[in-house]
Amino acid sequence: MKLLLLIPAVLLTGCLVTPVKQNFPEVPPEIMLACPDLKTVEPTEKLSEVLKVVVDNYGQYHECRAKVDAWLEWYKTQKQIFKTVN
Amino acid sequence: MWMLSFIPDAILLWTIHIILLVGVIGVLASYTVFKFPFINRYRLPIQIISYLLVVVGIFFEGSYATEKSWRDRVAELQEKVAKAEAESKVANENIKTIYVDKVRVIKEQQVVVQEKIKNVELKIDSQCKITADTVDILNEAAKGGKK
Repeated sequence: MKLLLLIPAVLLTGCLVTPVKQNFPEVPPEIMLACPDLKTVEPTEKLSEVLKVVVDNYGQYHECRAKVDAWLEWYKTQKQIFKTVN
Repeated sequence: MWMLSFIPDAILLWTIHIILLVGVIGVLASYTVFKFPFINRYRLPIQIISYLLVVVGIFFEGSYATEKSWRDRVAELQEKVAKAEAESKVANENIKTIYVDKVRVIKEQQVVVQEKIKNVELKIDSQCKITADTVDILNEAAKGGKK
């Protein structure tokens, strides 16, 4: 009797078999890195030292913005491609 | 029926055709064997088996047609997925190139600006002194609420 239970189990495994597998799209590793913290200024009286850190931080912001833009573009493009399959 | 997917197309098709063909031949033969008395006594079993084979053959022909249509759909979907994966790779390459180019330009600009600061460093520092409060406020803003 217990062996009879194996029959529906074997037959129902067909319901789990999906012959087409679509992998989740890859993300370029370059944009997978988190944005670093902004730099802080060491105690100083020199404006030039402060200015250097501020400029570095602006650069950091622009890099981060480029990364967010890349992610937005990635999402938009991959969504369009995904729609062509489904 | 999904188990049929393990059997290659050609073998499955020919097996079904052969079952149906044997059944049809058997049915036709069962109506002609009465001419041969020594075979005539097997007429009924031949008829029963032949009709069974015809029924099973027709059933499997229908099943195969359904199976074939599913296999075609799977093949079509597999093709679409493969195409989408290739397109995805190309899109990723484009996104990566654009990002890397943007970062390169940003870094080049950083170097230019830092050079400019170096050039006017003495002038700026001689005209302006920063207090500790200024640095603290700036750092507080940079930390963005982090301790």
